Amino acid sequence: MFSSLLQKATAFITDVPPASPTSPTSSKPTKTTLFRNHFRLPDSQTPLQEITCELTLPSGDHYAGKLYLSESFLCFSPNPPSSSSTASATAGIGFTLPLCAIRRVERLHSRSYMFALAITTWHGVATSTSSSGGKEERVTLQFVGMRSSCEAFCDRLKRGLRSQMGEVKNLRILVDSCYSEYLLGNSGGYDGVKRSTDGAGADESRKKDRDPPDAGLGMIFKYPGDTRKLRDRSKMRLWAEYLRENGRNVTLVRQPTFHKLIRVGLPNRLRGEMWELSSGSIYLRLFNPTMYRDILQEYDGRHSHSIEEIEKDLNRSLPEYRGFQDDEGISRLRRVLGAYSWRNEEVGYCQAMNIVTAALLIYMSEEQAFFLLSTLCDRLVPGYYSKTMYGTLLDQRVFESLVEKTMPILWEHLVKSDVQLSVVSLPWFLSLYINSMPLVFAFRVLDVFFLEGPKVLFQIGLAILRINGEELLDASDDGAFISILKSYFSRLDESAHPRSDNEKLRAVTRFQELMVVAFKEFAGITQNTIIEQRNKHKDAVLSSIESFAKRTQLRNLGPDSRRLTPEELSCTYDRYFGVLYERQGRLQMIADEMEKLATKKRAAAGSGVGGNGGERGRVGLGPTTGETGMDYDCFREFLTGIAKWAVADSVASTLAEPTQPEQSGFFGSYGGAAAALQRKNLLNPWGAGNPEPADHEFMKRLFRRWDTDMKNQLSLGNVVSGLASVVGGKKDIMGNINYWFELYDDDGDGKVDREGILRITEALLFVTRRGDVGKSDGEEAEWGDERILSAVSGFTRMCFEYADPDRPKEEEDIIKVDKEEDEDDLLELATSSSDEDPLDTPETISPGERSPTTPVPKDNAKANLALDPSNPLHITLPTFRMVILADEALERFFERGFAESFRLIPGSEPQTTSANPRLMARMPSTPLTPGNAKGLRGVLDGIVDEGMRVAAEVRRRMEEMEDSREEEGEEGEAADAKSIKEGDRDLLKGAEADIQEGQGQTDELHVEKGGGSKGEGRSRSVSYGDQVSSGVVEFES
Amino acid sequence: MASRDEAPKLSSSVKLVLLGEAAVGKSSLVLRFVNDDFQENKEPTIGAAAFLTQKCTLPSRTIKFEIWDTAGQERFASLAPMYYRNAQTALVVYDITKPTSLIKAKHWVSELQRQASPGIVIALVGNKLDLAATADADGGDVDGGDGGSRAVLTAEAKAYADEEGLLFYETSAKTGENVQSVFEAIANAIPESTLKPRGGAGGFGGSGRAGGTGGGGSGGEGVGMAVNLEDGVGAKEGCAC
Repeated sequence: MFSSLLQKATAFITDVPPASPTSPTSSKPTKTTLFRNHFRLPDSQTPLQEITCELTLPSGDHYAGKLYLSESFLCFSPNPPSSSSTASATAGIGFTLPLCAIRRVERLHSRSYMFALAITTWHGVATSTSSSGGKEERVTLQFVGMRSSCEAFCDRLKRGLRSQMGEVKNLRILVDSCYSEYLLGNSGGYDGVKRSTDGAGADESRKKDRDPPDAGLGMIFKYPGDTRKLRDRSKMRLWAEYLRENGRNVTLVRQPTFHKLIRVGLPNRLRGEMWELSSGSIYLRLFNPTMYRDILQEYDGRHSHSIEEIEKDLNRSLPEYRGFQDDEGISRLRRVLGAYSWRNEEVGYCQAMNIVTAALLIYMSEEQAFFLLSTLCDRLVPGYYSKTMYGTLLDQRVFESLVEKTMPILWEHLVKSDVQLSVVSLPWFLSLYINSMPLVFAFRVLDVFFLEGPKVLFQIGLAILRINGEELLDASDDGAFISILKSYFSRLDESAHPRSDNEKLRAVTRFQELMVVAFKEFAGITQNTIIEQRNKHKDAVLSSIESFAKRTQLRNLGPDSRRLTPEELSCTYDRYFGVLYERQGRLQMIADEMEKLATKKRAAAGSGVGGNGGERGRVGLGPTTGETGMDYDCFREFLTGIAKWAVADSVASTLAEPTQPEQSGFFGSYGGAAAALQRKNLLNPWGAGNPEPADHEFMKRLFRRWDTDMKNQLSLGNVVSGLASVVGGKKDIMGNINYWFELYDDDGDGKVDREGILRITEALLFVTRRGDVGKSDGEEAEWGDERILSAVSGFTRMCFEYADPDRPKEEEDIIKVDKEEDEDDLLELATSSSDEDPLDTPETISPGERSPTTPVPKDNAKANLALDPSNPLHITLPTFRMVILADEALERFFERGFAESFRLIPGSEPQTTSANPRLMARMPSTPLTPGNAKGLRGVLDGIVDEGMRVAAEVRRRMEEMEDSREEEGEEGEAADAKSIKEGDRDLLKGAEADIQEGQGQTDELHVEKGGGSKGEGRSRSVSYGDQVSSGVVEFES
Repeated sequence: MASRDEAPKLSSSVKLVLLGEAAVGKSSLVLRFVNDDFQENKEPTIGAAAFLTQKCTLPSRTIKFEIWDTAGQERFASLAPMYYRNAQTALVVYDITKPTSLIKAKHWVSELQRQASPGIVIALVGNKLDLAATADADGGDVDGGDGGSRAVLTAEAKAYADEEGLLFYETSAKTGENVQSVFEAIANAIPESTLKPRGGAGGFGGSGRAGGTGGGGSGGEGVGMAVNLEDGVGAKEGCAC
């Protein structure tokens, strides 16, 4: 019976036809990736050398193929690694030998070959000393090729061997934990069951007393199924034989028998180890000997969403298995799932992982299960358990297309009766058939799956449908469909041909039949088929996931989102994720690039990363890093798409711009250091062709205001709420005024101080500097522009004029104004203020008539009075309101202009991507009053720049004062007060001198100005010295 | 199975889908209803599993529920459209000891109202009534939901259900309390007109009762299997947001 099985299994393998479809795929995996996948190597490995070679095994078997050398491995395969090979190399002949497992390499003298090496592996020696009676077993490699390449290979190998010597201690630990080691170490005691019963007397080896290594919960709670029926003993005997001849665990050489033995089902105690070996997860474990324990230790007691979700499912993971009705099993499961969720937080925990991991734990130790789970999630079924489960959905689509191709009649029936196949098949794939079939059979599928890869899942699935095809054609709805398959799975152990006369045929179970159909009839389904199909359907699947995600996310944003129109929401969503993901990808690319530059040695390795590079930057793929929000820089980039004022004026300005926030002290080192560092490093952090975002203090304030969770990151919800608060629906002018006031009322005490007033001024100029904000429809653009400019100037002045001193008793009259805030007053104030200020009526004054310096001293004097640091002052909300409402242009700005400066829907107004051409275009288009405009801007600039400079100076002095006070103690108080006054006086003199000397051409002055407006500031200042033409020139520079 | 058309009395098959956060007891409700049984540790539902049962409450007709039980974990949400398509009725379940589960339930309700078949009958079910050791009175302060007692007030959920026009019940799958009543109420609430033998996708798509703003596009949305779906005919495409 068993040999007939073997025969059959052999038949499947030898009958495998060569892969047929070879059409090039759109995203072909790189050579490095193929190499890694082929030999199941860790991601750190790259092919360094390869050479044609003939392999001779101790048994005398002889194979021709290629030998590969990577950093830590020597690999041999008769077939070159390619995506079209029917299976991975582990499913073929060859070996994957860690260099540290090589004991000795000798050069052989051979007549027929130029180069021949004899390799003694770790176990080669062990075998020779213990059982095989001194016969040293060596693997012989005969190189075929030019002498120089042979030498190069050997040279590289020598270096590799030397560098890997340190790993030997890890190897020893690993080998000791392998059941095969225990099995053979007991020389001849291959029968695990037997040994456990009559353990003591049998063998001479000291190892017999050693406890067997952990081979899973099965050792404690019994393995599922009937060992006799599973023929576990005979399987074990065959394996012992194979391992003795071909090396074991890390030194195993794969021959055709290896695959046959796996196809007939692994014996319980070796199952875990063979899974590890055939999936390659054993190599991860080899090189990370403490990782599992370290993670457990590091995260001990920590909580996360994943940990919570894991807890929920612990009691319901294979609850029918005794080991999971017990604390021991549950805690192992908890630890493995928890550790993985920490190691890969992007995946975290997904239902179905509990079932898969529980299954693994029956046959392997926690540590083995941890690494196998990693390999499973990262490589075998990528994206299956991710946050968006795109891998699962994609493979369902692929499965459907394979059904359509291979069983067109059934497919047509499914379509006609409106049965959705994935409703049935999705759980098969997601839990690797573990909770679809009885466990014993599911494990048989897993045996082959780990050996041959994900195509096995498809082959089994197709076979299930093929076998049940007749019945399924009668089913007319998905309910019927499901129950047919359910009953099929429950009868897998029955005879496939119960009524056959042939006894042999009657003995074939339905499961055996399933395996035959899967691997024989669907042998044409190769890894390549799967890769091709995945590429083909990927985009469609991702977009449907994305549209679903968008729909649900937008709907669940909360009440704030209702203040935006659906279209606005939709565009905001697109913009948000567009920027977020594009940026992540870009930064990653740049980081990769930097790394490549940094370590030239790894330049070649870098190309391997490209395989994944294309996978970034889509919502459907889920977040690529743990970070799921927008940081400040990202927010800036986001704003450029929806508000013109957020676009920097010239490329040079933001890149060279000094960081204002550090000076201000408001934000401390907030973001500054990191941003600066980034700016220094990045090639083009904003992406080619994208507008460069400005960096203005106002934007920082908005960011901070919107960041209601105080995470230094904006979620989509934050952004939508933030936008809703500035542009959303029926917001009245008062609301907007309040909003601005709050934005600058840092401590929330209802007062905005001197500093704040200046910053508001600056922000108003910043937001309106494009000149298209706040004008009403009929007005000519430039007129509106200038109105705003003069209005802002008036604003600053009035703020200082009507500000309250921090010691209110001194100036009662102003307080009175505050209190009697009614419309008459406002009106009066408005008119009186414009009477006072010639700037408020700019149309009446031609630029030529006015001496450029005249208004400045006047304003300056006032401003400076207000700036007296010994005389702190503030404005309150009512004052602020009053000042705004006193000016028509400002009123309009707060009523509509500001909200309208956000354009959430692209194309609602033609938008230039780059700020510069627009600005340039604007210049000549205003030939009528260029001087006027410049003049006004210049004046304002004077005020603002000067104000800022003075403010900065005052702050500096105050700090100095603070310092000296600390030093001198209380005694020095009087002297200090005096010194301020003096200092201030000096300052004023200096300030005036500055202005008279042709208005702030000094760099220092611009340095202090907020980012983004620097370039403009300069041009304005230039034109102030009524050099209109030179102003334009400046601009272009 | 095949009895649908042969039954002398008017017999209809009704597709029912269960939605709700993980571990609120969706599968347990089904198990109680179908087998009158309860398991303490029920395996989480991966994807979905279907059960079938007969229900003969109504004097005039027999209703056979075809129950689709779905996975509750958040990331499975994008699979849901595949299960609720063509469903005539939905059971949206939350856990009365966990306020967050009600929020999730509300999300499901709005998803269904916009994306599922127009006229779908939705029942909001607060499960784990057996854990409501104390009465409604002091439920408010138990917020942590550490498996303790009630944290969602009946009145609160009821008010929401009324506002949205949902059936509302509090149940215990463990004791069986109210479980039958939910299904009976649903059977009663299903309009005669939708009780045609299922499968006539044209009936749904063609009627074009554009239920929600974006009734369209539900076909295959989020699932990427639009090929064999026919109910994507709805009103204007556009995102439903």
